[in-house]
Amino acid sequence: MVWHGGSHSGDDENLDEDEILGKSYDGKLMRRFLPYLKPYSKGLGMALLFLLVTSALDLAGPYLIGYAIDHDITPVRGHSHPGGLPLILAIFLAALSISFLLKYVMGYVLQWVGQHVMYDLRTQIFTHLEQLNLQFFDKNPVGRLITRLTGDVDALNDLLTQGVVSILGDGVMLLFIVAAMLIVNWKLALIGLAVLPVITIIAHFFQRAMRRIYRRIRVRLSRLNGYLNENITGMAIVQLFNREQKMFESFEELNSSYRAANLQAIFAYSLFSPAVIFFGALGTALLAWVGGSNLRTWGVLPGTLFTMILYTNQAFQPIRDLADKFTLLQAAVAACERIFGLLDEVREPPDVPNPVVLDRVRGEIEFRHVTFGYDPANPVLKDVSFKIEAGESVAIVGATGAGKTSIISIMSRFYDIQQGEILLDGVDIRQMRRADVRRHIGTVLQDPVLFSGTITSNIRLHSEEVSDEQVRRAAAFVNADRFIDRLPEGYDHEVRERGSNFSAGQRQLLAFARAIAFDPEVLLVLDEATSSVDTETETLIQDALERLMKGRTSIIIAHRLFTIRHVDRIIVLHKGKVVEQGTHDALLERQGYYHRLYELQYQEQEMAEVG
Amino acid sequence: MRNMRLLVPYFSRYRNVIVVGVLCIAGSTVASLLQPYFLGRAIGAISAHYAPVRGAAAASLSPLYQDVLLLMGAAILQGLFAFFQRSTINRVSRFMEYHLREDMFLHLQRMDQRFYQEMHTGDLMARLTNDVNAVRQFVGMGVISFIQFAMMLVGAGIWLFIISWKLALITFVLLPMTSMGMIVVGRRMQTRYRAVQDQYGAISTFAQESFSGVRVIKAYVQEKLEAGAFAERNRDYVTRSLRYARLSSILWPLMMFVVGLTSAFVLYVGGQEVIQGQIRLRDFVQFMSTIGLLTFPMISLGWTMNMFQQASASMERISEVLRRQPRIKDTPGRTAVVTELRGDIEFRHVSLSYGDTDVLCDVSFSVPHGTTTAIVGRTGAGKSTLVDLIPRILEVDAGEVLIDGIDVRRIPLALLRRSVGFASQDTFLFSTTLRENVGFGISDPAAEDLMHAVDVSRLSKDLEQFPQGLDTIIGERGVSLSGGQKQRTSLARAVARDPVILILDDAMSSVDTQTQSEILFRIKKIMANRTSLIISQRVSTIKDADEIIVLDEGRIVERGDHTSLLNQDGMYARMYRRELLQQELEVDEQEPNGRTSQVGAAAHGGAE
Repeated sequence: MVWHGGSHSGDDENLDEDEILGKSYDGKLMRRFLPYLKPYSKGLGMALLFLLVTSALDLAGPYLIGYAIDHDITPVRGHSHPGGLPLILAIFLAALSISFLLKYVMGYVLQWVGQHVMYDLRTQIFTHLEQLNLQFFDKNPVGRLITRLTGDVDALNDLLTQGVVSILGDGVMLLFIVAAMLIVNWKLALIGLAVLPVITIIAHFFQRAMRRIYRRIRVRLSRLNGYLNENITGMAIVQLFNREQKMFESFEELNSSYRAANLQAIFAYSLFSPAVIFFGALGTALLAWVGGSNLRTWGVLPGTLFTMILYTNQAFQPIRDLADKFTLLQAAVAACERIFGLLDEVREPPDVPNPVVLDRVRGEIEFRHVTFGYDPANPVLKDVSFKIEAGESVAIVGATGAGKTSIISIMSRFYDIQQGEILLDGVDIRQMRRADVRRHIGTVLQDPVLFSGTITSNIRLHSEEVSDEQVRRAAAFVNADRFIDRLPEGYDHEVRERGSNFSAGQRQLLAFARAIAFDPEVLLVLDEATSSVDTETETLIQDALERLMKGRTSIIIAHRLFTIRHVDRIIVLHKGKVVEQGTHDALLERQGYYHRLYELQYQEQEMAEVG
Repeated sequence: MRNMRLLVPYFSRYRNVIVVGVLCIAGSTVASLLQPYFLGRAIGAISAHYAPVRGAAAASLSPLYQDVLLLMGAAILQGLFAFFQRSTINRVSRFMEYHLREDMFLHLQRMDQRFYQEMHTGDLMARLTNDVNAVRQFVGMGVISFIQFAMMLVGAGIWLFIISWKLALITFVLLPMTSMGMIVVGRRMQTRYRAVQDQYGAISTFAQESFSGVRVIKAYVQEKLEAGAFAERNRDYVTRSLRYARLSSILWPLMMFVVGLTSAFVLYVGGQEVIQGQIRLRDFVQFMSTIGLLTFPMISLGWTMNMFQQASASMERISEVLRRQPRIKDTPGRTAVVTELRGDIEFRHVSLSYGDTDVLCDVSFSVPHGTTTAIVGRTGAGKSTLVDLIPRILEVDAGEVLIDGIDVRRIPLALLRRSVGFASQDTFLFSTTLRENVGFGISDPAAEDLMHAVDVSRLSKDLEQFPQGLDTIIGERGVSLSGGQKQRTSLARAVARDPVILILDDAMSSVDTQTQSEILFRIKKIMANRTSLIISQRVSTIKDADEIIVLDEGRIVERGDHTSLLNQDGMYARMYRRELLQQELEVDEQEPNGRTSQVGAAAHGGAE
């Protein structure tokens, strides 16, 4: 799904949201953003200072050239200075070297600040996201969250490192040039600067047009790419239905409309650059002509005139750039808005003020009239009551959609129930800290989630208190050590993304090991059908499951007949309600719902065994 | 380099335009050099008037307007040339990009499914976008800056050497250092940048994994620790970025430093030359003003050199795609002359494997024209692979698939596919209107044909749910449709072709039982005189078929009609019993708010 180059993820459908450019300035956002800069105010201050100094130093060159002409090269009577050209050269070189050094340091410092601000932001966003509840993750595609974390943070960095330098730098530069020109000779300055407003206006209109064109380009490109993507994925259908020609025609349309938008950009540029050339030359020409004709009356020397011409040319670059950078600013403001929007998402509601802290629980669980729905209007569990004694093992069975998974979710307090209560050792779990609930009640999920890392890191996760020894013992306990020991690097063996280098059965065993390593008093196991587990591993899994359940309260959402037969009690759930409960034999005798369910699964099992 | 030769045909198409463009670059180069020339003349004249060289009498101020007007003239000329240069070369680069992408698209349309199994969509997309873009950038900006550089080198070089060889030497020793710097620093920057990008990828992947596995993280109370692990990677990213920044921050200041250095030395040496009378002040001014013009081409040359590498690598990746030949295509000379198919299908000792896994082993059966054959079996039994062989989505490794006694590989591909209506479990719909999707396989769909297809597939039942009926745009790949609606649309798409052979590959798994039997009833009517192949997980779908083939691990394990298969009491009989039991459970749902179909589908899903 992730192809870094073009866009960051499968976030295409949200293109609209992500494409909208904000205003270029938003006071409230900026006030909220400023605190992120505060820790680095020293660095920023230094960069700012260096910016002023280098901008001033950049004025030295043209001045020295003019000065040398007037005083050394073709000295006007009465104007001379002791050092001569060597002194000029020395000053020039000194100015260049200092400017070079300061610019380098400034550039680096800004990058340093930018990177650290990004670091702070990214860590904050990530930490914040980790603390949001599951509903949030149900609603927001992971791709979009990644975009916030990467693309949007980058946009802010661009603003900080490029935008600030350019906008401030260009502004300061322009200011300094204008000031220098006015100081040297205000009349010449006015002549030389006369073209600047014209260029500014042209640049402004050009930029406006370009912004529109670029947006058009982006939209058309994303349409083209979306179309390409769809065609590549659906190529079999296109070919089967002899649709190549038509698809190609539509492609041509998109391809050429994208080209047309780009040609518009080229056209705009091809008008803009001659305009800049023309007005640049006009400024020079006016200075040479008007200034040259009036030198004596205005008391100016020829070299100074040349200095003024060089200054005028120098003033052009900042004006062109300034307009450019406003787009950057807009993108950053929009990104900022989205990031803060994410940070404003509320975390899980806080734990109760005075939580009940149980050190070690016995593991008695009771559901009292529990009603729950992901959408409260549409309950998945309706008035469910049952009690599980400490140390008892219970299986919950029922057809898909009967609400089995929800039981696990609400016991771990991923979601809070709407009515009734869930008691652990007689204490309502809402009176406990979430973290504590989850420490006491361990979960093994149906689709075992593995993270890239090593076997060890997948069993102990980040918890340092789980020692290597405990990791090994846990693995051995659930029979995972057999395949781990066969791996060349044993417990340090690499686990690839989503555990793709392990079989489904092996992943399941690792998930068991993880649960055991954390040694919870109550264990929830979601054990739905796992496909493609070979018989050998299947035996290992069954054996491990039995050992997992021994001696601790365990609730298993069972699929395997084996496990169902070995639990103390079976609770049958149907459409969010408890319809039957009892031992396997008692339930079979009843010839009720469980009986039929069992028959069905038995058939399936038999099918699988035949295969 | 070899790959870049592939671009030649694209160039030659625009030969004339390119020649004009190159002339424009030459023109604008000369015009740009003329400006310092006239400026120098003007300043020289002014200086001769106000600050005469020692001993010489003050010259009278000659009319400046001549030089000034010439200067403006040169600027206008340069502007004109610049305009035409952009309108030619830059445009051509966009046209080349257009044709390159077009050729790639055409090529992709010819490639078979094996190719698409090997190449990931993301990878292909990257080649179609990023790589094409890299090539285009090189062709556009790269070529321009190279030519500009060459012109500048020749034009300014000659002129400056005539003025003063010493100054010219200084300039042409110092300024090229900008290109060198660009190349040397730029290359190393690329390496470090790659390191930054790698870590960027690592951060994204970590976050991706973490958000996807957020349940586990929360279940084990790892949120804070996970954030710590993220921060660690984040820090590494900062370290790498700063290593890159140490280089990137030096680039521009360095360029400016070198240019400044050139000016400083030209000022010093040139000034002395003027004092010693070797050159005139106007020469000096001309020289000074030209340095600025030389700077940009020098810098961009270095940039171009770096870009070339990238473009060359991109071209390699593009040609990798273009070089691949489709394995499934018409072979000239082998193709039979047929214009119509009747629809007698025969599989003769067909085998096929993916790598080491055998998917089909020695499968033989035939489906006579006008009959219906069903294929059942567990997931992974090879059912889909089997039917994919008929319209040549896949090809056999051994044996042959015949239609009307002709090997499908000898039937013209277009005819073969036109004769087949195919609806599979993977209902790939396109993000356009329902109408477009239903009429996807016919050239000029008549309204009544579409309505007929929509009726057969029972999509008609839901039509009024859609705001614009058939003209409703379904979201990306049909996200706005339910699973059953998608399947019925895909079914309508197959039926609309009025096919000789209809293949339904588990095409109704999400359609409820009632609707399904309505569909089957209608299909039976229209397929009376044609050939149908139906794959299904549900026995109820296929029990009326003329022949039922039970496939397991790529082999035919049972065959016969429904009754005879039940009598065999094998795999098929077991499947059937299981299904009956399931239905029994479904019937049990008698609560008022119970949606039988939903539970049925769910129970079915669980059984898979």
